[in-house]
Order: sequence, then C-alpha cells, then structure tokens
Amino acid sequence: MINNYYIERTAQAVFTVFAVVTMTFGMIRLMPGGPVSYIRSQLVQQQGNQVDMEQVNALVEVYTNVAPDEPLYIQYIDYMAALLQGDLGVSMFYNDPVTEILASAAPWTVFVMSISLVLTFGLGITLGAVMAYIEGSRFDVSTTLVSIFLNSIPYYVMAIILVYVLGYQFNWFPTGGRISSDVATGMNLAFLQSAFYHAALPIASLVITGFGIQALAMRGNSIRVLGEDYIRVARLRGLPPHDIALRYVGRNAILPMYTGMMIAIGFMFGGSVILEEIFAYPGIGYYMFRGIMARDYPLMMGAFLIITIAVVVGIYVADLTYGKLDPRAGSGGGNREAY
Amino acid sequence: MSKTDDTQTATTAGTGAGTDLSSIRVDDPIVEIRNASVTFDMERGESRVLDEVSLDIERDEILGIVGESGSGKSMFASALLDAIVNPGVLTGDVTYHPQGDAEVDVLGLSPEQLRELRWEEISMVFQGAQSSFNPTITIRAHFEETIEAHNYNMEQAMAHARELLSDLYMDPDRVLDSYPHELSGGMQQRTLIALSLVLEPNVLVMDEPTAALDLLMQRSILSLLEDLQEKYDLSIVFITHDLPLVAGLADRLAVMYAFEFVEIGPASDLIGNPTHPYTRALLKAVPNLDTPLSEMRPIDGMAPDPVDVPQGCSYHPRCPLADETCRAEDPTYHDVTSDHQSACFHWEDSAEAIPLSTDGEHGETQAFAGEQSDEPVVSLEDVDVHFDQVSDGGLLSVFQEPDTVHAVDDISLDVYENDVVTLVGESGCGKTTLGKAVIGAQRPTDGTVAYRGQDIWEAKDSRRETDIPYEHIRRSLQMIHQDPGSSLNPNRKVAASLKAPLKRWEPDMDPDDRQERILSLLEYVGMSPPGDYAQRYPHQLSGGEKQRVALIRALLMNPDVILADEAVSALDVSLRVEVMDLMLELQDLFDTSYVFISHNLSNARYFSGKAGGRIGVMYLGELVEIGPAEQIINDPQHPYTKVLRWSTADLDIEETVEDPPLRGIDIPDPVDPPSGCRFHTRCPEAREACTRAQPTLDGHDDGTEHRTACFREYDESHEYWESEPIVDDADDADVAVGGSDSDARTDE
Repeated sequence: MINNYYIERTAQAVFTVFAVVTMTFGMIRLMPGGPVSYIRSQLVQQQGNQVDMEQVNALVEVYTNVAPDEPLYIQYIDYMAALLQGDLGVSMFYNDPVTEILASAAPWTVFVMSISLVLTFGLGITLGAVMAYIEGSRFDVSTTLVSIFLNSIPYYVMAIILVYVLGYQFNWFPTGGRISSDVATGMNLAFLQSAFYHAALPIASLVITGFGIQALAMRGNSIRVLGEDYIRVARLRGLPPHDIALRYVGRNAILPMYTGMMIAIGFMFGGSVILEEIFAYPGIGYYMFRGIMARDYPLMMGAFLIITIAVVVGIYVADLTYGKLDPRAGSGGGNREAY
Repeated sequence: MSKTDDTQTATTAGTGAGTDLSSIRVDDPIVEIRNASVTFDMERGESRVLDEVSLDIERDEILGIVGESGSGKSMFASALLDAIVNPGVLTGDVTYHPQGDAEVDVLGLSPEQLRELRWEEISMVFQGAQSSFNPTITIRAHFEETIEAHNYNMEQAMAHARELLSDLYMDPDRVLDSYPHELSGGMQQRTLIALSLVLEPNVLVMDEPTAALDLLMQRSILSLLEDLQEKYDLSIVFITHDLPLVAGLADRLAVMYAFEFVEIGPASDLIGNPTHPYTRALLKAVPNLDTPLSEMRPIDGMAPDPVDVPQGCSYHPRCPLADETCRAEDPTYHDVTSDHQSACFHWEDSAEAIPLSTDGEHGETQAFAGEQSDEPVVSLEDVDVHFDQVSDGGLLSVFQEPDTVHAVDDISLDVYENDVVTLVGESGCGKTTLGKAVIGAQRPTDGTVAYRGQDIWEAKDSRRETDIPYEHIRRSLQMIHQDPGSSLNPNRKVAASLKAPLKRWEPDMDPDDRQERILSLLEYVGMSPPGDYAQRYPHQLSGGEKQRVALIRALLMNPDVILADEAVSALDVSLRVEVMDLMLELQDLFDTSYVFISHNLSNARYFSGKAGGRIGVMYLGELVEIGPAEQIINDPQHPYTKVLRWSTADLDIEETVEDPPLRGIDIPDPVDPPSGCRFHTRCPEAREACTRAQPTLDGHDDGTEHRTACFREYDESHEYWESEPIVDDADDADVAVGGSDSDARTDE
C-alpha cells in the first residue's frame, strides 16, 4: 500500500536521522579510547595520578552530555533530550559549544557548496544539451573526451593541484581562510569580493571535476528525448525551435537528473571534509577534520550529524518534490516512475 | 455478402496500356504526388523505402492506404508534409492545390513556408497518441503553443479547439486541464486528432491513427471522423494495415506492397473486384466475421527487404500467377475501370487463380476439436480480483481510503481439457486479470480457483502436503504474452531459452534427448533448419518466429492450460491466421487447453470457432455473455456483444460507417462502476430497471450453453419490460459521454 506515501517517506527520513543519532551515541560510549578515557588521560597529564573519578565524570558530562555513572538508558535519554534542544555538547579542543562552532561554519560550507552545485549542473546541463543537438560533431566528440578526463580526476587531487599552482606558485589566490583578515564582516562589496576570492579555488576544484558527468548524463537524456515522437510532432506543428529546446527537450531531459542533483547536495557536504582541509577553509568539513585529528568527540559527532541530516533532507526533498516537476509521477494508479 | 467475383465484366474500360500517369489522375486533386521516392543510405546498400510513387488525392475524399508493416506507407505519409526523417532523402514532386488554381510545390518551399504549410494546410495524426504529447505539459499548453506558433487569434482558435473536442465526444474543460497521461488511450487519440485540426487544415494525414486502440474505440473514432470530414470539408488520407477497417470509411483505396502502390480504385470496386493478386491474398488473410473459416489463408513468403527488392514485379516471389514476364519486367498500371488501376500483368486472371469465396454458407471446419473432458481442469468459482489504487498524490490523500478497482467481479468459469475459451472485451475490462486468475498467476481477493479439484492458492499456502502439489499446478498452467520480443531473454540463444524449463522440471533427461526434443519442436512449428534457429538470438527472429518460440517454451512444460494474452495482436495481419492455426495444431498434439484473450472478435471467432470452443464477453470485470463461438458471433444476445459485433468491421462496403449502437464511447471508471447492470450507462436498450438490479448469467437458465447476463433474456414477467427506457437526447450525446471517470460528465 502506497496510499500513505508522504507519511511513509517522512517517517523513513525521521527514522534515518534517529538511527544515525543512536549510532552516534553508541560510538561515543563504546569506542575504545572514547571521550571518557580521553578526558581522564588529559586530567592525568595535568594533575598526576590523583584523578578524582567524579571530576572526570562531571567533565565528561559537560562535554558530551552523557553522565558516565548513570545507567545506560538514562544516558541515552539525556543525550537525546540534549540533542532535541540543539545542544551538541562542548568542543574539547576549542572549548566552545559545538552548536556555536558549527552554526558559524555552516553558512560558509553552504555558500561554497551551493555555488559549486549551481555551476556544476548549470555548466553540465548547458554543455550536454549543446552536445546532444550537434551530436557527432567535432565539438561533441572533444567535449565528451574532456568531460570523461576531468571527471576521472578526484576532486581532492584537483584541489591540491590548484592550491599548489595557483595558490603557492603564482600567488593568484589565497591558500586558506574564508575572508581576508582586514575586511569587516557585513554585506558590503569588499566583503563579498573577498568571500568569493577565497571560495574560488574550492568551488573550481568541485566544478571542474564534477560537470563532466552531468554533461554526459544530460547529453544522453537529450538524445533520447530528441528521438521521441513528440519532438517530431512539435516540429511539424511549427513550434519555434527555442520553445522545443527548452520546454520539450530541456525539461524532459533534466527530469531524470533532478534526483541526482539532490543526492549530490549530500555528497558535496561529505566531500567538504577533505576539500576544506586542503584549502584551510573553516566550514563544517574543516571542523570535522579538526575534531577527528584532536579526538574532539563532541565536535566530530556534531559535524557528522549535520552532514547526515543534510544528505537525508536532500533526498527527502527530492522525493517529495519530484511529483511536482513530473506530472506523471505521484499521481494515480501507483505507477510512480522510479527515476 | 454481395461482393462476388463473377464481376469480371469490369474489364470494359481496360486498355491494358495505362503506362503513364494519366490513369491515376483525378478531377480535382488537392495533392498530387509524382514519382516520389525516399531512399536511405545503409551499409548494405541503398535502401529504397518509397519507390517512384505517384498518386492524386481528390479534394474532400477519404483515401484509404493499406499495406503491411514495412510496406512504405508511413514514408508516404511523411512525404506529403515533406517530413521525412533524416537521413532519408525524398525526391520527386509533391504539389498542393489550395482553393482555386494556386499551386504549391511542397518540396520547393523555404523552411518558413513549409512551417506554415504544415498544420495550417496539411496536418498529421500519428499512431502513438501517448508518445505524441509532451508528457510534462498540459493538453491546453499543447493547443496554445500551436496556435501561438502560427499567429492565429488565440480566442477564436481555442473556441475552435473546444468545439473539436466536444465533436469528438469529450468534455473540453476536463481534457484541456489534463496532462496527457491522465487520459485513456482512446481519449488521447481523439485529443490528438483535435490538436491536428485546430488550425483548420484542408488535408489530414492519419498514420495508423487507431492501431493501438481496441476495436470498439477504433470504430467509434472512425464514425466520428466521417462526421468531422463532412463538417470541416477535410480531405483525409487514412493509412492502415487493416483493410476491413477502412473499407467502409474510405471513398477510394490504395494498396501498397513493397514501397509502391499495386492497386488503386474506388473502395467498392477494390473490395468487390480486387484484381491484384496481393490485394486478393490480403483479403483472404485478414480474419473477419464473414469469410468462412476454411477459406482463410495466410500469405506465403515474406515481404521484400528494401535494400533488395526483387527484379520485375516485386510481388512475384509470393504470387501464384507469376511467370517470366513478371520476373523480368515491372508491371505498369492497367486500367480495370477508368478509375481502378492494378499494377499486374495478369489482373484479368487473378480472380480465377485466387478465388475469394463469398457465399454466405459458413462451411464449418471442426478440424481441431479434441475430446473434451467432463471434469473441468480449472474451475473458478465466484472469483473477485480487486486492486487498491492510490488516488491523486498530495498530502491530503493520506487520509483517504484507497480506491478499489474492480478488475474481476464475481466470475465463475470452467475450463475443460482440450478446451478453448476466448475472452473478448474493451481494454480495461479485466480480461487479462481474469486470464491470470485462471492460470493461478493472480491471487483472487475472493472466491476459489481450483485445478482438478485442488484449490490452487491453498496448495501454495499450505505447509502440509496437498492432493496435487503446487509445483505441479504451476507447471500445468502456462502463459504466452502479447509481445513475444520482451518475453524472451535478449541475451540467450533460442536453444538456451528453451532448455531452461526442461532442465528445471526434468533434470534427469539426457542432454541429447533434450536437444533432440527442442529441435524437433522447432522443426514442427516450421522453423527449419532447426539447428540454425536454435543458435539464434531473439533479435535475429521475426515477430512470428519469436511468438513460436514462446509457444514452444510454454508447451515444453506439457501444460494443461495455456493463457495466450493477445498472443497474435502484435503480429502482422497476414501472420495472425498462420500462428493461430499453429496454436490449434499444437493443441491437438499436446492435449492442452487455451484461454485466449483478444479485443478482436474476428480473431476470437477464428480461434474459438475452429476448435469448437467458447467465447466469453467481458464488460467492466463481469462476464456478460458466454457461449459457443459461432453462436456468439452470429446470434449475439447481450447488447454489448452486439456493439462488439458492430465494431468488428466486415468487408461490406455497402454499409457506411454508421453511428455506434451505444450511447457513450468511453468505458466508465472501474473504480466506481455503475449501479445495477454495469452496461446501462452505454446500453441502447437500457431501461430504468437496469439502473437498480443486476442481471446474472444464470438468471434465466434455458439449459443451453449460451448464457447472457441481460434482462432482455429474462421472461416477460421481469420488471424490465415494464420500466421506462432511459433516453437521452441525440444532441445530448456529447454531454452524456464524459470520459473514463464516472464523475466526468459535464454539467453543460
């Protein structure tokens, strides 16, 4: 029964997030060398051997929202309650609430990722459509080759090349940071300029290695759509070519890519871990990497949660909105097409 | 039947010398085609898919063009609009004559002029209506963009569109606001016709416009076409593979074979006195309700390959009259009468060589009637199959009860050994679902399906041993599908596909025996050399050959019942009789029964009739009439069967396409079937009593095998005879027919 599709889908999304949170909780408790032993060893280092176990537990509770001396289910409830209130604990490394750190970092990651996403798909779709229209031409063949080549380079390799060549060798672009230190935060031109200047290389490395696959996907879809009967009928009906290109070919060719685009949001967040580290760009991924390096469990878990939620929400939104874009999906007969 | 072949007197005007084009001239042509050829460059050589074709289309006529698939008829249609798809090259002349003396050289037009000519002057309707619409925009957008692209007055043109839609028995508002996939197949096709007429063209080219629809819808559309043609002064070119379908509609007919016209003439002449051997063969090959079963013959041989058309007359390899001249020279048109031409040297002798028996006598051939058992093999009792359907998406639907589709409602049916039961009905009436229930492929929501007394689903669910194990039942009930292409694994050779069931069920069989058995069966069904065919992949087989392989695969199980779901519908007309014959022959050999599903009464009659089987007529999930084949065909009782009988075009050209003997074109929504007798919303005989009570098959048992679920069969004491007839105004007819949704009736 798929009558309650929306409820079912929402429940699925909520359950995924819940499962991730539970696993996070389990990992904190069970990992060898988890935060408890980490804090104890820190204290041992500071105070010698007279470590007061109660003090350790109190500290652990402050940082991780879990009181180690309580029974397991109480710990679990405490942890969940704190999470629901938006309390992700306190970073041991930065000594700030994790929520605060991530909240300040998130806009920058979103900034880089959304621009990359728009450029990747914009460039890919345009190129793909052009390639399909002049299928078999020299442009088509060479663009296909370039697309495959660029797509086969991992983005972090591209990132290292870019930061080495353009950043260190030519000094054209900054090698780290979100904005220049001499620019005041605010919505002024200098700030925006500086922000784009700093974000240019991370964006470039994602777009350069990402657009190719989208161009090829769009090319394939467009060629398929161009062979459909309704394109022929539309031409016979005398519709202007740009109408056919946009409303007929474009729209029908993009549809299957829509879900992929939403899923890409999630992947980009995941990919931000390495990318932001390479460019020393303090976004969510950067802090997650720091958290891992410093064994800063609350920070690590917080970032992990945010990324998971981003992926889940991306796919959830894609599923819910697909029916609005494609009238054939989500209506009648249970014949929802599985793109 | 009035048509006789003793009208040899038609040779009067025949000069036999009509070589030039004067013979095919008409008085007032709207389109003249001269020496039109379409060629494709292929690796194997030049493929000529339209070969020096010349033809005139008379103003305000309906010209029927008939040919098998691959005869070049679609190319001809495209040529009229200069719309041959790349890389095809069109040469020759196409001249369009608008009113007056003006002439338009269609092939010489600039792109912009051509754009204006198309749809404004000459318009086209394609076969697949569903694929002719952009799935992501509404029907209204399709109309509006067309009007806008041609700079017509939007308001006037949209008003015209609405008028066309209501002329075609649809509710304009509802259709315009729909997306293409929300309309039923018949509605899509009619909408497409309206779309092609919205700019008021003079010529309408229709390329197999009804091929994908069931017969009743085809005939209904045809009768509407005739009305449209009169109302809007159209010249219609109607292209089809189905000669009987256009026979009554068209004024003139042209028969295509191997990329050229072999015979052209007025419809009555061409049907009454066909002179080209191919036309005659075609008439014999098409299953219809009038020709005696023993007279139907498949056409031997295959249509030629466009790269390698035979020397001389292209039909000579298949023609019984062929002689040296035919092999050497390409025949020109010979005048049979002044307006009836035949491209055959032996046109005068063809009638004798290929007789078309048209006596009314139905010589019965009971050739395949095997011994039928008293005990049924499969027995259905009060079977219901209901599906839950999601209503429209959206958050609110969460709180709705799912709609229930009544695919099969309370049907009892017995299938005996060596039996043939054919189920007929419109698409969506539940034939396939019932068929699947019979072979245990669809679990009924209520009622029982028993195989030799053992409940199939009990056998499946039960953990304990049952009288007959489920595996055995499963083996005994097999199925062949409509599309033989997609039921064979494209990556396995024929031999591998056929071995699989044997390996599964008879693992002890010696590999050599297995091979031997497969090869002998292949040989038996006419695929020789069998060793060669066994090593082929499905794509290397023709449609008919694929269906044969699917048939063998089902038979290898030694089944008791085979469900053949539209098994011949996808095949070319000339092949259908052949495959049906083969199926019946194999029935004799293997002692099996068929449940044959078809929307085509002619096929049903042929298949059931030849085996002395039954025909069951289904409407909206119910069996409304069942009985021996010839009785159903010749003496239909239920009004719906009569409608189906009407929809099956016969070759009688005297009879023009009349209005359908029913009050609505579209089948009601099975989610919410009408109360009482389900047919009462469309039934011409419906009376008030029909809206309340439901007639049953057993309500008036008169002891015969022929049973009908209609109050008109009940004796005179029934309240039906007393109650008021349901009348709706003739003019009201467009309103009474809403669409496939029961709530679609307009409130105009």
